[in-house]
Amino acid sequence: MNDQTKPTRRSKVTRLQDAAHLARDALQERPELCLGGLFKQGRPVALVRGLLAAGAKDLHVYSSPGAGYDVDLMIATGAVEQVFIPGVTLENRLCPNFRSAVEAGQVTAHALDALTVVGGLMASAHGVPFQPIDALRGSDVLKHNPLIREIDCPFSGRRIHAVGPIRPRVTFLHAQEADRWGNLRHLSTMVYADQLMARASDMVIASVDRIVPDEVILDDPSRVTVPSHYVDAVVEVPYGAHPTASFPHYAMDEDHIDAYADLGDAARTGDRAGLDDYIARHVTRPKSQGDYIEAVGGAEYFARLEAETRKR
Amino acid sequence: MSAAVSPLEQMVVVLARDLADGELGAAGAAALVPMAAIALARELHAPNLTVGGEMFFNPLPGHLYPSMLDDRALGRCEAAETFIELFGHSHHGLDFFFHSGLQHDSYGNINLHHVGGTLDAPGMRGPGAANLSYCHTSTRFYVCPTVHTTRNFVEKVDFITIPGHLSGPEAKRAAGLKKEGPRFVVTPRAVMDFDPATLRMRLKSVHAGNTSEEVQRHTGFDLGIRGDVPQTPAPTEEELTVLRERIDKTGTLRA
Repeated sequence: MNDQTKPTRRSKVTRLQDAAHLARDALQERPELCLGGLFKQGRPVALVRGLLAAGAKDLHVYSSPGAGYDVDLMIATGAVEQVFIPGVTLENRLCPNFRSAVEAGQVTAHALDALTVVGGLMASAHGVPFQPIDALRGSDVLKHNPLIREIDCPFSGRRIHAVGPIRPRVTFLHAQEADRWGNLRHLSTMVYADQLMARASDMVIASVDRIVPDEVILDDPSRVTVPSHYVDAVVEVPYGAHPTASFPHYAMDEDHIDAYADLGDAARTGDRAGLDDYIARHVTRPKSQGDYIEAVGGAEYFARLEAETRKR
Repeated sequence: MSAAVSPLEQMVVVLARDLADGELGAAGAAALVPMAAIALARELHAPNLTVGGEMFFNPLPGHLYPSMLDDRALGRCEAAETFIELFGHSHHGLDFFFHSGLQHDSYGNINLHHVGGTLDAPGMRGPGAANLSYCHTSTRFYVCPTVHTTRNFVEKVDFITIPGHLSGPEAKRAAGLKKEGPRFVVTPRAVMDFDPATLRMRLKSVHAGNTSEEVQRHTGFDLGIRGDVPQTPAPTEEELTVLRERIDKTGTLRA
């Protein structure tokens, strides 16, 4: 074989818009989308915005057990049909558009708990038909949770719960670094459920703060959190988690999230103009992440979020 | 002490005194007061208390943050875990945990799902909650909402997100809740505990500046007040100094 016909290893580095279209098309087959990170930490928000701009609809959204801003934004743009996330909150205040849509009956928010979601992802990742759970008692959530069944433990005979595999069609993750093959490195303190989701999903698309040379990965393989085997596409997106945090590179932007929530609260009382304008400026109008960065406040603004991580 | 004790500082001190050396526990979702209580206990009488069960061990925050799930709040910590380990902790249980919600009722049940209407057609939809296991796999938990009014202290919650004592000993047994459940309810006004026979909430002590009549007036059910109710023991000089100088350096609990 000469060099011209010899196959070469394929780089998984993908443009943001291409990744968004890849995800949108896959989700048209099956609408289960799963998001990495937790609350305001390490959320793949640029990928979410890209997906919204590409025109996703009727999504069933999963996440690690706690989500906030990104899911609320997806609901605000009308992209979500069902939410399978135990806790949806901005932590210091409620998610305005989540509340409005659920109260109006436009979105179904299932009553779930963390072990159901984690157990379902575990079953999928491990390739087994269900995951037993023996730590759910007394909560009204158990009367409504659509993902669990009661079973008899074959060993003790005790009534316990089982959750079937949760198999997202697409999972979005955000990590701090990757090589071109898609080996991910989370440099943040916690990795949440990102590794589990990567193993549980049909397709994994990751945004990273930067693509690093192959040598960085090869010199320290135990530092890789998600091997490239599980990753389908990797996108280098500066500030791709904004307004959530990407430690140790930049802190969460609480002011931005609060201002967004104020617009959501105004929409609850009938004034949707501010929210629509927010969506136009941050989701539909930017043609690139560079446009988004300008819309949010430019390089100087982001330098402040970077400095915030060094304060502690 | 120069400044007066704030209601949140009083809450922190009450909770800290009940945490023992060598225990394992975590702060829960609304972490400000619990995190300060854990840190105060570790500084004063529980140096071997381990913070764990929420994906990190023994954080050393530079100052208090409202959320614990923030790398700034973690500052440095000794080790990090993932949701897989959290799945295990949730089954094995901790020694203590903390909860609060939209509504709390006379048996210590907590609602975070909806107020009014039904789950499918809620009057007001709450955030829900992630961990429903620590409340009954852990040895005990504490209820510590930072407001105390007739709106969030109601006779019966609209939805039981976090089971407390359900409707008493029999219901608890039937549901398989075998641990202590909620031990104390600590609010900015008072400390409540539960009658061991009926497991109904009752007033234990009132914080300085409050009367038992006031606390009852701000509670949507009968607190079983009989005669004089003691005052909550005030923070000692040492407790307050350590809390303000080493834990709450920015005065968040006094804001």
